[in-house]
Amino acid sequence: MVASTASPKTLAGWTGDLLAQLPAPSGPLTDVQRRGRLALSALAPPSRHQEAWRFTDLTLLASLDLGPSAPNARRHSPGDSSSGPSETSARSETVCLHLDGRSDPLAGLVLPAGVTPLADSELVLALGHTLAATGCEQDWPVELNHACASQLLALRVASRAKVSLELVSDGGTGLLPLRVLLILEEKAELQLCQRLTAAGAGLTSLVLEAHLGRGARLEHGLVALGPPEAALLAHLALEQEPESEVRLVVASAGWGLSRLEPRVVQVDGSATTTLRGLQLVTGEQIADTHSHMAFEGPEGQLDQLHKAVADGRGRSVFNGAVRVPRAAQRTNAAQLSRSLLLSDRARIDTKPELEIVADDVRCAHGATVSCLQQDELFYLQSRGIAAEQASALLKRAFCEEVLRELPAPARLWCPFERLLAAADPAPAAQSGLAASTLPRVGQEPEAPEGEKG
Amino acid sequence: MTTAASLGDLVSQPYKYGFVTDIETEKIAKGLSEDVVRLISAKKEEPAFLLDFRLRAYRQWLQMETPDWATLGYPPIDFQNIIYYAAPKQRDKKASLDEVDPKLLETFEKLGIPLSEQKRLTNVAVDAVFDSVSIATTYKEKLAEHGVIFCSISEAVKEHPELIERYLGTVVPSNDNYYSALNSAVFSDGSFVFIPKGVECPMELSTYFRINSGDTGQFERTLIVAEEGASVSYLEGCTAPMFDTNQLHAAVVELVVLDDASIKYSTVQNWYAGDENGVGGIYNFVTKRGHCRGDRSKISWTQVETGSAITWKYPSCVLQGADSVGEFYSVALTNNHQQADTGSKMVHVGPRTRSTIVSKGISAGHSANSYRGLVQIGPKAVGARNYSQCDSMLIGDQAAANTYPYIRSQQPLASVEHEASTCRMSEDQLFYLQSRGIAFEEAVSMMVSGFCRDVFNQLPMEFAAEADKLLALKLEGSVG
Amino acid sequence: MSLFSDSFVSTPVIRPDADVLLEIRGLHARVEDKAILKGVDLTLRAGEIHAVMGRNGSGKSTLSKVLAGHPAYTVTAGTVTYRGQNLLELSPEQRARVGVFLGFQYPVEIPGVSNLEFLRVATNARRAELGQEELDTFAFEDLVRERLTVVQMDPAFLDRSVNEGFSGGEKKRNEILQMALLEPLVAILDETDSGLDIDALRIVAAGVSQLATADTATLLITHYQRLLEAITPDFVHVMAAGRILRTGGRELALELEERGYDWVDQELASLELG
Repeated sequence: MVASTASPKTLAGWTGDLLAQLPAPSGPLTDVQRRGRLALSALAPPSRHQEAWRFTDLTLLASLDLGPSAPNARRHSPGDSSSGPSETSARSETVCLHLDGRSDPLAGLVLPAGVTPLADSELVLALGHTLAATGCEQDWPVELNHACASQLLALRVASRAKVSLELVSDGGTGLLPLRVLLILEEKAELQLCQRLTAAGAGLTSLVLEAHLGRGARLEHGLVALGPPEAALLAHLALEQEPESEVRLVVASAGWGLSRLEPRVVQVDGSATTTLRGLQLVTGEQIADTHSHMAFEGPEGQLDQLHKAVADGRGRSVFNGAVRVPRAAQRTNAAQLSRSLLLSDRARIDTKPELEIVADDVRCAHGATVSCLQQDELFYLQSRGIAAEQASALLKRAFCEEVLRELPAPARLWCPFERLLAAADPAPAAQSGLAASTLPRVGQEPEAPEGEKG
Repeated sequence: MTTAASLGDLVSQPYKYGFVTDIETEKIAKGLSEDVVRLISAKKEEPAFLLDFRLRAYRQWLQMETPDWATLGYPPIDFQNIIYYAAPKQRDKKASLDEVDPKLLETFEKLGIPLSEQKRLTNVAVDAVFDSVSIATTYKEKLAEHGVIFCSISEAVKEHPELIERYLGTVVPSNDNYYSALNSAVFSDGSFVFIPKGVECPMELSTYFRINSGDTGQFERTLIVAEEGASVSYLEGCTAPMFDTNQLHAAVVELVVLDDASIKYSTVQNWYAGDENGVGGIYNFVTKRGHCRGDRSKISWTQVETGSAITWKYPSCVLQGADSVGEFYSVALTNNHQQADTGSKMVHVGPRTRSTIVSKGISAGHSANSYRGLVQIGPKAVGARNYSQCDSMLIGDQAAANTYPYIRSQQPLASVEHEASTCRMSEDQLFYLQSRGIAFEEAVSMMVSGFCRDVFNQLPMEFAAEADKLLALKLEGSVG
Repeated sequence: MSLFSDSFVSTPVIRPDADVLLEIRGLHARVEDKAILKGVDLTLRAGEIHAVMGRNGSGKSTLSKVLAGHPAYTVTAGTVTYRGQNLLELSPEQRARVGVFLGFQYPVEIPGVSNLEFLRVATNARRAELGQEELDTFAFEDLVRERLTVVQMDPAFLDRSVNEGFSGGEKKRNEILQMALLEPLVAILDETDSGLDIDALRIVAAGVSQLATADTATLLITHYQRLLEAITPDFVHVMAAGRILRTGGRELALELEERGYDWVDQELASLELG
């Protein structure tokens, strides 16, 4: 991804150097750091011989020079108007938190009613619980985060509380390890809008765990925009008790390399999970989403839609695992992967992965890969819309199907324009996608759906 | 009565072809070495190029490891504990069918494949393979009148060495995978079909494979070539006796089609699947691949898989010629402790190539049925299209259905569409049919054949009924 | 059972000489561990149309499923005699073959199984039981086209899979078509009117009336009296808490329509107290 620094370093060598550079463990995660460093030094880094890493070569990370993390020059404060999230601060009930990996994100903040920081004693019990439940506690990217993260955001949302939070992380250069732990008590509702950006060469490592009590509801929108010289590794581990509801919408663009792993387990079934993903690649970018859904009890529901747009020499990977064991009778799961391939040098790899050992279930999945539909393009053109703009409209319609499901505050970030700008700044400007010529975000695009299923 | 239990009874039918023919057999000693490869080649009086082919494959095999990516579990196979060549002892050369050991003819007759002049099927030419050798091929002369060559591959090596040298190993290179390397080193017999330019083969061709020996591996090799504008429909059938040990079957099938030619290849596979506890049965590791070399050429695979303890098989098409077409229609039924990891690969190389995959998996008992497929659209495959559909039906809550469809596209002006669903045979559906006077077995059979209809429609007429019967056989029985 | 015995009104008789087709005595049944039927008594004679009414959960649909032999229901006590034969011993398909028909409230969809083929196999199974010759594809097509007029169905339905993608009304008409082909002696129609618009209801009711003859008995299960305006029942039974609480003529249905089901609860409560 970072063509300029073609270093022959191996990933193991890079990891070793990184471990050597890290400061001594400190802060609330001291024990986790110690264990993570030990694990990381013993763990073989992912290789393309492993099925889970078959399509994505992490050795690209080795070309990243991870000096000490340098903060982004533009330091945000709540209410800063230049960076998007603040536009939503009009919603007084929404509290914005800044995660920078170094300082305590709660310092000097008043948390909304119903939200409390987790006590240290609770941390010991809760940290890693959901990672284990979703089977990823020993994954290499997770151990990497364990080894590096010294700060975390750990919050409890009280039973029946309804809370809206924004999380903003502006990576500068270097390594930005982010760790989030959320506990939603019975019937708690949390709307979480998260924005990750990076300013230059660096690695953002996010590990988020959330435990949803019975009847709890989590609406999580993650918009991750990076420059081509940066990489993103994110694990989003969610554990659902019965009657809880997860709506996770992840949109990413621009990263030279991104690997997103939404992992959800319904521990006792009877919960509802809605997953939406959108990834845009162009240039030499690689975006890889490996989602993992496990039903461990009956009557669970999954509705998953993953979309990808690959342009330039970009590569998009989607692997959607769904596990329905014997205990998960009457599960109803639907997964759809739709990819747009816009260039003959880009590549799409998509692979649903269903494992079912229960007879009374409804599981459907589908995948499509194509370019923009010629008949749709023609239809728009025949109404006087220039080919290029017609393409832009259709592409936008394709993306909006996911973006319109972001939580309301995140929709106000004009995600499509930002995604497009992050993915490919120059063409976005050229293709006439100035905000004025396009429907306002949130408005239905006038074009039919991007492509036919 | 619970539906799952009675369905379970229903799919656990005794295997009808489990008998052993008592016949004197010439076997070589167990184990595999370079000497064994040389011995097999010598026994078959092969030309030097073939011995070289075998030895090269053997050396490649030594360097390879067994594939472990399939969702299959089985103890490691001891390749030194297998006999690599077994042949029924008979007079040197069987000039005519009359000279074939009556016991062998009787065996095939019992299997429903009469070979003798009076009883043979009128519309189908049959090559009958018993353990490692072909014992008879019917209608050879009639086919020869049309220029069609249909014979055992051993015979083809002697009589048409130039064709063998030209095509063997060009679709499935010996080092393609572990089992193709093994097969290339030790293959014993199989069928060879050559349809010359412009000829539409006047009858269905069929090969019937019978494993008889308990400790022998079967490594058959099939090669079918259709020249420009030629077409042929070919069917293979397979059975084996019931042993409480596992037999290895590692076949390689290669198809070559040139411009405007087409091959329709159908398989009705009914190897012994092991008993209800998973003891015994065939380990079936098969590499089947067709190469659409010519423009507008077409390959269609249809398979009905009901046997084998383990099935590892991905009939594939490399669609190189412009406008070439690949099809794969599959029904795989697993029961008891059977494991199947099967599917297809469609590799789109040429422009406007089209492929269709329809896969129906039925899992019952404690079995595991996995669909694994790859649809790959290369950068030059402008205008290529694929449509895949894979449906699973689960019977009982102990069976597993897995779906792993890999899709890779590098061509924007191509479209790939994949759909999959999972359903079960529900109690309510069965009760509905029963409440209209339809017996339980018939209700199950109606639903299964309804589920599989898209695939059965693809089988040649002569065999569609046979496949339906085969599934019905596996599904029919006593309901308490 | 004894709790109710003295208040029970036994089925009145219009034609005492008519054959008894179906006799239900003290029928108890449960699904899983839940007792649903708690002593049902009912006698159907040839030429009679009966309506069983009651609220959701009163047990009326269970009664129909038990009579058809649904495996989810277990009969714990009582007898059902069909023309002198123990019906409960018969498998579901055997019941259909001897002439007991259930029109389902929710006919299931069976993808892949052709409707025409299904109807033919079912019809031939019934014909075999009656000692009639099997109909080949052509003869059957003639028959089915003739019977299609009973329900005014488009022959295109025959080429589709059983009930797959049918509207509610089409499914119910397909049920009546099956009844027309199987010519049952006892037809049990479970909520045949639910989900039907006025036109479809008229067609279905006309079909049912046409098929009800002096030799057959019909048991309509419904909780509205809508269907009973189109098909006049000889007897109306009110079902509650798993048994038949009251039996009367057509006027009982009207009374239910006017007064609702609340009086049933009161009666039930007073019975339980008494």
